[in-house]
Amino acid sequence: MTYPTKALSPLMLEDYRKVMVDRRGEEEQFTSDHIAECMKKVIAVDLRQTVQVDEDLQIRAYYAGHVIGAAMFYVKVGDAEMVYTGDYNMTPDRHLGAAQIDRLRLDLLITESTYATTIRDSKYAREREFLKAVHKCVSGGGKVLIPTFALGRAQELCILLDDYWERMNLKVPIYFSAGLTIQANMYYKMLIGWTSQKIKDTYSTHNAFDFKNVHKFERSMIDATGPCVLFATPGMISGGFSLEVFKHWAPSENNLVTLPGYCVAGTVGHKLTSGKPTKINTDPDTQIDVRCQIHQLAFSPHTDSKGIMDLVKFLSPKHVILVHGEKPKMASLKERIHSELGIQCYNPANNETVCIPSTQYVNAEASGTFIRNCLNPNFQFQKCSSEDTSNSTMIDKNLTPKLQVEDERVADGVLVMEKSKKAKIVNRDELLLMLDEKKRKV
Amino acid sequence: MDDTPEPESQQNHTEQPLTLHTLSSIRSLLINPSTPKRIVSSIFQTLTRSPQLTHHTLNLLSDLITHHPSLSQLALDSLLRATESPTRLAVDSLATISELSFPKDLELDDGRFVSLCFGSSVPGRVWMLKNAGYRFRIRPALLFTVLLGFTKDPYPYVREASLEGLVGLSERGEFDDVSMVKGCYERGLQLLTDMEDCVRLSAVRVVASWGLMLSASSADMKPYWYNEVFAKLCSMARDMSMKVRVEAFNALAKMEIVSEDFLIQSLSKRVLGVGKQRESMDQSTSEQFASLAAGVAGALVHGLEDEFFEVRKSVCQSLGRLTILSIEFAREALDLLMDMLNDDSVVVRLQALETMHHMAINRCLKLQEKHLHMFLGALVDNSKEVRCAGRKILKIAKLNNLAMFKSSINRLLENLDSYLQDEADVFSAFSHLGRNHKKFVGMIVREIFEEVDAAFEGNVEFKSARIAALLIISISAPLLNEDAGSIPPVMFSYAVTLLGRIYCAFSDIMDRDTLLAYLCEKSRCTTALNINLGKEEQQLPFIEGDTPNFSSNETIDSKIGSQIMKKPKELANYQVEQHQSEYNEVMNFKIGSQIMKEPKELANYQVEQHQSEYNEVMNFTNYILANFPDMWQMIQTGHTNDVLRSLRCLKEELATLKFDSLGSHDALEFTLHYLRIIKLLAEVWEHLLHANGSCSHGMGELEFKLGKLDRRVKELMSKFVGFSAEQEYNILELILMTYALRLCKVETCFVNLTFKRLTSIYSCIESILKERSVLPSNFVAELGKLLHECHTASINGSSCSPLQLNRCLKLFSLKKFVLHGTIRHLMAELSISNNDSLHPFPFISGLPVSIPCEITLHNIFRKCKLWLKMSLDDGLVQYVFLDLDILLGSGDVRNFVFVAPFYRTPKANSFTLKVCISLECLFENVSPVQRCGGPKYELVPLCKEKQVYFSKVN
Repeated sequence: MTYPTKALSPLMLEDYRKVMVDRRGEEEQFTSDHIAECMKKVIAVDLRQTVQVDEDLQIRAYYAGHVIGAAMFYVKVGDAEMVYTGDYNMTPDRHLGAAQIDRLRLDLLITESTYATTIRDSKYAREREFLKAVHKCVSGGGKVLIPTFALGRAQELCILLDDYWERMNLKVPIYFSAGLTIQANMYYKMLIGWTSQKIKDTYSTHNAFDFKNVHKFERSMIDATGPCVLFATPGMISGGFSLEVFKHWAPSENNLVTLPGYCVAGTVGHKLTSGKPTKINTDPDTQIDVRCQIHQLAFSPHTDSKGIMDLVKFLSPKHVILVHGEKPKMASLKERIHSELGIQCYNPANNETVCIPSTQYVNAEASGTFIRNCLNPNFQFQKCSSEDTSNSTMIDKNLTPKLQVEDERVADGVLVMEKSKKAKIVNRDELLLMLDEKKRKV
Repeated sequence: MDDTPEPESQQNHTEQPLTLHTLSSIRSLLINPSTPKRIVSSIFQTLTRSPQLTHHTLNLLSDLITHHPSLSQLALDSLLRATESPTRLAVDSLATISELSFPKDLELDDGRFVSLCFGSSVPGRVWMLKNAGYRFRIRPALLFTVLLGFTKDPYPYVREASLEGLVGLSERGEFDDVSMVKGCYERGLQLLTDMEDCVRLSAVRVVASWGLMLSASSADMKPYWYNEVFAKLCSMARDMSMKVRVEAFNALAKMEIVSEDFLIQSLSKRVLGVGKQRESMDQSTSEQFASLAAGVAGALVHGLEDEFFEVRKSVCQSLGRLTILSIEFAREALDLLMDMLNDDSVVVRLQALETMHHMAINRCLKLQEKHLHMFLGALVDNSKEVRCAGRKILKIAKLNNLAMFKSSINRLLENLDSYLQDEADVFSAFSHLGRNHKKFVGMIVREIFEEVDAAFEGNVEFKSARIAALLIISISAPLLNEDAGSIPPVMFSYAVTLLGRIYCAFSDIMDRDTLLAYLCEKSRCTTALNINLGKEEQQLPFIEGDTPNFSSNETIDSKIGSQIMKKPKELANYQVEQHQSEYNEVMNFKIGSQIMKEPKELANYQVEQHQSEYNEVMNFTNYILANFPDMWQMIQTGHTNDVLRSLRCLKEELATLKFDSLGSHDALEFTLHYLRIIKLLAEVWEHLLHANGSCSHGMGELEFKLGKLDRRVKELMSKFVGFSAEQEYNILELILMTYALRLCKVETCFVNLTFKRLTSIYSCIESILKERSVLPSNFVAELGKLLHECHTASINGSSCSPLQLNRCLKLFSLKKFVLHGTIRHLMAELSISNNDSLHPFPFISGLPVSIPCEITLHNIFRKCKLWLKMSLDDGLVQYVFLDLDILLGSGDVRNFVFVAPFYRTPKANSFTLKVCISLECLFENVSPVQRCGGPKYELVPLCKEKQVYFSKVN
């Protein structure tokens, strides 16, 4: 687990438990003690920190975007190298950066494929529409209700608004309903290192999560006059504070409610997005007049199919396995990876086993002469017969003294060796001759 | 210094390697200029005789070469000897030699070059590959072979260096063999997928530069190769290294032709289908497109969405170049650019606006209604630069319909409302808007008129800024030779009352007086006079296009100048009073009488709005300079306060004209300087006038002002170059005047010196007069007589009677000064990094310290004598001569780092040193004090004094 995950997960788990048990009255699946017990076992890792788990296993975390603390993991078992990644995002948003990884020599990449066929357009258009709608509403004296989840989207939208407020010199107050969001904000402030470049760069002068225009919301303010913007949980107006506020604000056509792109069926959010209802019944006794404006905005922290392709192309592993997606879409993405990038790709079903050939290195010894020869550059040019191109090849291998790591499978160095007939120069050396013989056998 | 015998003892046992301690004491001996020659040469012997060169001795030798020219050749030879074997040290000594920048180029034969490159030292190899291209004259063919070969090296830094070397080589562009170019380009392509960031970065540069070379090689294939390079660069948009992305997008700005389909594909993440392709595309292009489209897809969008502002900025910048290539692309790219105005980084927002401005100039900016919310948002942005850039676009943008025009006006008014400091520029934007959209102004003029009229009638609250803005837009519409049409004449009269506030908005095409004349003329729309005028106007040739009518402008300036000459007193009033109706009437009357002549001038004035900034500045400065002679008359008649007031106004106006372009900067700087002198003269003169009566100001102040005046005129003479003989004469006369003032009034202790100076300047003037065979002015003639009398009576200045001098002074009159754009302003910038009161440099008292000065010189030519003046608080001053022959490259602006030694470090825990670059005044051949070492003549500072902090090493 990364440090932010370690910090935030007990918070989220606890919240989830409360919602399940206290609000919906379902059976408790785990207790607070379980959570605490579980957290004790966690070992946190930092980004790009290589952890030698045991003799054969090495892991390293890379930044994945998506949500604060998300990581891709590079794993090396023996000589086989692979990257496993859960959810990641290839385009940055207002508070998190894009996924970042080195070019590695991978045998295997395992990646999520939530949006295996979708290509998303620039999110700027959506941001623009959102800001325009909010600005129009508050300048007309209306109130804006933004129901959100506590983590991620709330911060992103808030940064967007706070920045816009700052630029446009708006004085309308922005409120956060108390509770989880404020707590989460506090964690964000501490975990600056995991956010996007801009926030990291500016935080010494101004912490982006110290929102200048944001104030704490008191219940008594619900009916206060004048424009304002309010962030309230939960995101789909399925109950809680956001529903309470919605009841008060929905009847006025000056007000605005912005909803996330996806709402679970049965929630008020879902009812609002499907069709244009004028009246909503939350329970048999209450009916809400809905005259306010509805604005839907879809921000998703998942990468789209282009992002997956780009990552695969950048890493150029020998094999790809797609997970976490819908079967037909995964199949089409698999086909594209295979045809466009020429990489073997699999989309195994649950419980299916896939065998992937992996790399193994064989250690070979090298004599001093050979090493010395290898340290000196020695390249020659060849005219390719097919094309009039000068191509340079060179006998050269990066060596550590005493131990030469020779890859027999990827017989690159060896091939060149044969072609350019370098044995003459180093032929005094017996070991090289031996090496040479070995190669001929191969 | 105090342990001078040391090197001699060293000499006796050179067999042992030198310890660090000895090396450091040798170094301090070397850089101390007062070390005797004998010791230096024995040090040299020691250094060269030691069994083998080390890095330390190498450094010492290079110190020796810089500080002791006499030994430099010998030392150089020993360095050269060291380069013979292919070792790391050889490369280091090569580096040292080439850094010393000797005039003669270092020759390196092929064999030596190759053996050094193939040496076993990797850092040495890197250095050779990086620098061989431009430091040594290596045959391009050989260099190319070596560099290309090393792109296969297992060490990433070697690969990087060889790629960089190839980029450098491409700039020399001496390759006719297409296959070579192609080979290199393809090697670059292969390395685009290298494991190391730094290699990919250089590979991008190679692909860009060699790709362009490849496309230049054949005219038929040019579009093909451009598309190819464009696609390859686009494919790097998703690289994980920020620097690589920035480089790729920067390189996109070099594209000259790219097929529209490629361009549009780069804006869409979806791969565009074959069906969408235009018929214009021939077979080969469409095949190429099909194979490359996936790599191009959405590259620019990704760039604009990038996490790093550097990348986003770079994309915005490159878009400016790419939008010229295709109208359709420009239209689509604009949608994306507009969204960049919502970026959280000011730099990116500014660049996006800059790009739009660029597009507007190239007539590919098609603003649509959907853009307005974002675009006009920039006008109320809280960053001043962004607002300014937004208005800059609005000034030249073409708005398509009335709704857009109206909302632009509303947002501009909002801008004015919330940011009062923008007034001048907002007004100017209004005047441009009005001029560009006459039709729309006509449509809304009724509303405007009602509002303005109500305000003037006093019915509603008078918001002066808003009213002024509305007036500007109405009066600017008929400005370019249209008849006033629907604009009620009374609007023009209203505008007259706000003249002082609004005339700046028209400063690009006319000055205040012309505007007044124009307003007066238009406000009498109904009179018979105007009908006449209208006819006359139509017959006049109307100047269009970007070519400014320079000559006519100048003549008008002088005409206006002569008008002003007649009424100096009014001028002063004019600068101050704005709403004085009486005065307006007088002016109206006067101008009314001239109005028959004026339309012609007016027409000349209506030169296109894009008149170059330079002309604008020149006209303006000349206009200001033309005022001074009249002011002098006013000063003499005792209207000093009026003059001072108008000077202040002029100075403020000057301050509004801050342009970056070099030529205009010089003229502005000169005018400002001249203005300051006139101001001081006015103040001093007032002292003299009142000296007989009440002595309200102490003598000390007068002395202070005279001193300041003295300095100012000297600066005028030495900090500006490029005067014509006449201009020089004028300035010398001014100097003469200040000396005479000094002699006549306060001078008590330095009489002789001042007198000497006076005579020396006089002789300069005399020689100029002789050359040009012109009669001297009364003042000079009279002064000449006086000096002659003094000479024949063989007395010196002390007995020169103040009364006679006073008589001369009364005869002085300021000449008109006209700038022709030849004047250059000498300037220097000095910065010392990593030093402030919290981070002082260390020092050891008694030992010299070095101060690394980063110096930028503007317009400094070789004859100038520059000194680095370093002064301690207690008055101790040390001068270091900046030898321009050694230090400089060439060009108007030169940058270099100079390490200045300071010898006399005090016995204290800490101290501060004031450092300043000064110029020696060579025009005076009277030196005040004889110093040994330092400058002979007086110094004029070229930059602000810089404080350098030191603290003792514990």
